[in-house]
Amino acid sequence: MAHFMVLLLDEKRLNALKGSGLEDKIIDLFGGALKGLNIEVPEELEKKIMEEFASARIDSRGAITDVPVAFNRTLFEEVAKQKSIGPEVIEGVLNRINEVKEAAAKESEYLPPPDIEV
Amino acid sequence: MSNLIIERPLPHGGRLVERVVRDPEIGKKMAKGCPAYDIKPTLHFETGVPVRNVYREIMSICYGFFSPVEGSMTQAEVERILKERRLLNEWIFPYPLVFDISKEDYQKLGVTVGDRVLLRLKGKPFAVLDVEEVYEIDPPELADKTFGTPEDNPEVVRERFDKKHPGWVIYRSLNPIVLAGKYTIINEPKFRPPFDRFWLPPRKCREKFDELGWRTAIAHQTRNVPHVGHEFLMKNAAYTGDVEPCHGILVNAIIGVKRRGDYPDEAIVEGHEAVHTGGYIKPERHLVSICLWDMRYGNPLESLLHGIIRQNMGCTHHMFGRDHAAVGEYYDMYATQILWTKGIPSFGFDKPPTEVPYGLHIKPQNMKEFWYCPKCGEIAYSDNCNHTKEKQKFSGSFIRGMVAEGIFPPGVIFRPEVYKVVVKWWKHFGYPFCNEKYVKEKEKNLEVDLPDMDI
Repeated sequence: MAHFMVLLLDEKRLNALKGSGLEDKIIDLFGGALKGLNIEVPEELEKKIMEEFASARIDSRGAITDVPVAFNRTLFEEVAKQKSIGPEVIEGVLNRINEVKEAAAKESEYLPPPDIEV
Repeated sequence: MSNLIIERPLPHGGRLVERVVRDPEIGKKMAKGCPAYDIKPTLHFETGVPVRNVYREIMSICYGFFSPVEGSMTQAEVERILKERRLLNEWIFPYPLVFDISKEDYQKLGVTVGDRVLLRLKGKPFAVLDVEEVYEIDPPELADKTFGTPEDNPEVVRERFDKKHPGWVIYRSLNPIVLAGKYTIINEPKFRPPFDRFWLPPRKCREKFDELGWRTAIAHQTRNVPHVGHEFLMKNAAYTGDVEPCHGILVNAIIGVKRRGDYPDEAIVEGHEAVHTGGYIKPERHLVSICLWDMRYGNPLESLLHGIIRQNMGCTHHMFGRDHAAVGEYYDMYATQILWTKGIPSFGFDKPPTEVPYGLHIKPQNMKEFWYCPKCGEIAYSDNCNHTKEKQKFSGSFIRGMVAEGIFPPGVIFRPEVYKVVVKWWKHFGYPFCNEKYVKEKEKNLEVDLPDMDI
């Protein structure tokens, strides 16, 4: 069974997708409190993701999760660039695997916290 | 009084074990002239990464969380536990607990039966162990027997345990020599903030229940920052009780060795605290506490230990969910429910642990799942809500991904007060989850400091 990835869209990402033709693919999560894109991942690409990223797993919804933040960021870049949510965007990320892994290694030590008052 | 009223159960074994010397002068006398051993973390048998620290077991035993266990188990006791999950005094108990050392350390220490060993933690006197027996174990065999196999325990074990299972790894990584005997803490450790304000050993916890007027209390096991799904689980499970809902909810966070990707312990305890400081559950009805233990992830066996810990703390009920304290698919996802409703004969329980002699009195409350339903417009219970297509599950890994991307979670996922705790510790550690640096530092510094004590 093919699994999927959920790409979360904050305001910045939503703005970047305006005019991309993907607006009608945007889904509501948690009653519209979050927006996202469901990206189906064919089995052979899922296998590659699992091989390349030890932390990746399938959660109880059938979604591929626990990939590095850099993976999701690159995935969004590919979606915006290719104006698609087809398998080619996953291929696009996997073609940039070294770049993703390099960024992920840096991000395993430090992630900038959100700028909110605590 | 109505016979429907449920009273607080006695501790498991009938009385609370308390093996802590509060007077330092007595502690010094007890340890004078004893050979000393510096407690070392148990290191992964292949990678050398810390997977356990026996100090946590000594603390939980001596403060009574594991009553009636009083020390490192003898060989006969370990064998009985593996066979029937019972101590030699008949009371049920799920896991072997031993003080293990290497052959080299044993030779250096030069102790034998009848000797007392001073155990030092972070270079300072901590506890003594009165040696009753010295024996050798076979760690791989002990690891297999502790968790069971598909052949020996077909009711619930689905896969053979291996090095991907963190509990199996703990037993597999033990040293071969066991010093068995009772522990006594002679120099009380001091918890560092924020753990100090959540340290409620069983006697104090029972006193706190009295102070709060709780006759009935339901325990919530956690090793997670609470999302709104957890909050609804707590609130709804607490509707059980006797003639009225439970008077209180005891959150008991298991504090121990962390794995990469977990939330830091500091965020977990303060995150739960934020549920009541934020007013989502009244503080008069919600209490956050900790127990030191390196999780074995033994699903039904772990649930048994949780039942023992929380009965000792004074709880009348315990909530259990699907895949309770589980990792991977080694056990049936409902193994805990099978144990508490039918029993698991191959583990020594032909009936549930509340119906066997020398068993438990705490009552299980088996809960299914809570999800967000946009059609109901609320957090819904899976056995109520029939909008299975519309449902939005609280996937922990999805939420971790959202946090890592720095997206402010909506209030239906995290209460803002809880999320701010996550960000507070994120700012402190430079990372929202446990990374390699956090894991190493934690096992070096542990959760406690010890006062100076000259012996």
